[in-house]
Amino acid sequence: MNNKIEIPDLMIYAMALEIKNFDTVLHGVSSPLPVLAMSVARKTNAPDMAYISGAEGVDPEVDRIYPSSFDTRLNRNAVAYFGLHEAFDLAQRGELNVMFLGAAQIDRYGNTNLSVIGDIDRPKVQLPGGAASAFLMPITPKVVVWLSRHSNRVFVEKVDFVTGQGYNNRPEEYKKNELVVISNLGVMNFKNPERVMQIQSYHPGHTVNEIKEKTGFDLLVAPDVAETPVPGPEIIELINNIDPDGVRWTEFR
Amino acid sequence: MKKALTSLEEAAKLVKDGNLVTTGGATFHRVPMEFVRELVRQGKKNLNLVDREPAMDFDLLIGAGCVAKIRAGMLAFEVLGLAPNFRKKSEAREIITKEGACQPIIAGFRAAAMGLPSLPVKGMLGSDLLDISEEIGGYKQVEDPFTGEKMIAVRAIEPDVTVIHVQKADEYGNVRIEGPVYEDVIKAKAAKTVVVTAEELIPNSEFRKMPEATTLPHFIVDAVVEAQKGAYPCSCFNYYNADYDHIKGYLKASAKDQFKEYLDKYVYRREN
Repeated sequence: MNNKIEIPDLMIYAMALEIKNFDTVLHGVSSPLPVLAMSVARKTNAPDMAYISGAEGVDPEVDRIYPSSFDTRLNRNAVAYFGLHEAFDLAQRGELNVMFLGAAQIDRYGNTNLSVIGDIDRPKVQLPGGAASAFLMPITPKVVVWLSRHSNRVFVEKVDFVTGQGYNNRPEEYKKNELVVISNLGVMNFKNPERVMQIQSYHPGHTVNEIKEKTGFDLLVAPDVAETPVPGPEIIELINNIDPDGVRWTEFR
Repeated sequence: MKKALTSLEEAAKLVKDGNLVTTGGATFHRVPMEFVRELVRQGKKNLNLVDREPAMDFDLLIGAGCVAKIRAGMLAFEVLGLAPNFRKKSEAREIITKEGACQPIIAGFRAAAMGLPSLPVKGMLGSDLLDISEEIGGYKQVEDPFTGEKMIAVRAIEPDVTVIHVQKADEYGNVRIEGPVYEDVIKAKAAKTVVVTAEELIPNSEFRKMPEATTLPHFIVDAVVEAQKGAYPCSCFNYYNADYDHIKGYLKASAKDQFKEYLDKYVYRREN
């Protein structure tokens, strides 16, 4: 095992590996990890991807990230501008291949909540809102949900509010679309007949049992479960160069 | 062409208490912050705010007591934190929150811009968001008359006032936006009244030299205001970056119950 690989960097690499060459990929708001993952993917496994920034630049050369994922400096050397509404139109056409989304809660079917903790009419906590989740989750061929705090308060039996649709809340034609969950402990997917969450890989230093214990529902384990691939030094260097201030750590603190 | 140039004070008077208002830009970028501060100074009440991904502009108006109702896809300060006044007043039920979603809110604006009562979108089915009933930008499941595909029709969102901040405008309301446009053009076409604040006023002849660079023609725009640093502390592409330290200071002041002091210093600009 490669020592001292930081969790954000492991997650970024795992997220980058979800992008295939020639994919069209979009990141949204509050997305330092997706911005870094897309930048890594373009330098490694997906050099010919179409990169659409939430800041609206196409194929930018990101040399630095900021507290806002819409910072216009993220559009450096972009080849074009493509508005978010145009990217959403692309999604309706089925031509947006990958999108990264966040969540405050997620359940075994992949339903996500970014709306409220408690009752919608009397919220205990008013969350920011799901942004594009309810629109993109079902219709996008691959959605990657990243979660920086894997615990049974986040991975819950039942989400307080279904903002983004898991497999039990999707029309039949959208059940084929892929959902991947990447947390600070491991990589989960739904590649089983029941379309429920299973562990695909555990990050170095973590175990299947630990992930199960920190999950509020019965988590399946993929038959070919393995350790999460570790990024090489050149990838760590790339991440450090783009994020010298450690913006990627914000959501882990 | 009619002259549209006016003062910030006069332009802000176009916003009436209870109006449906949207702002240009996205999160911390090219947001009409000086206009928003003027709305606070004029003591607007019961505003109904709608936008895809607003941030400090909406939170400031909420904190200053100008807002009755919010409809947004997401309202937060990105990785800097939750929107403090939005969270506080929404949890206390002092404002009504009706969460939307990005594409449906844009579809609502697009419908109004196209003169249509509604526009369908894909996705959305199966989300509890469909149960949040709402008149403006509300949802209804429909079937496409040709294919039978089930979609969600979004009711048109026609703002009483859309206000956008831009790089360049002339005295008639011709507008040039540099860099990302966001939904500013759609929002402007959707609104009953359009206010533009601009970093720079440039002569009409400049627009005529390069009409393809004109983002909005004059007849869409009702009022133009010269406002240098009009997006501050948000960014204005080609002019200045977002001042994240200022924005962090806003969050810190709100957390320490010093929001009134923030308003005094940066909105009312009172000397202590």
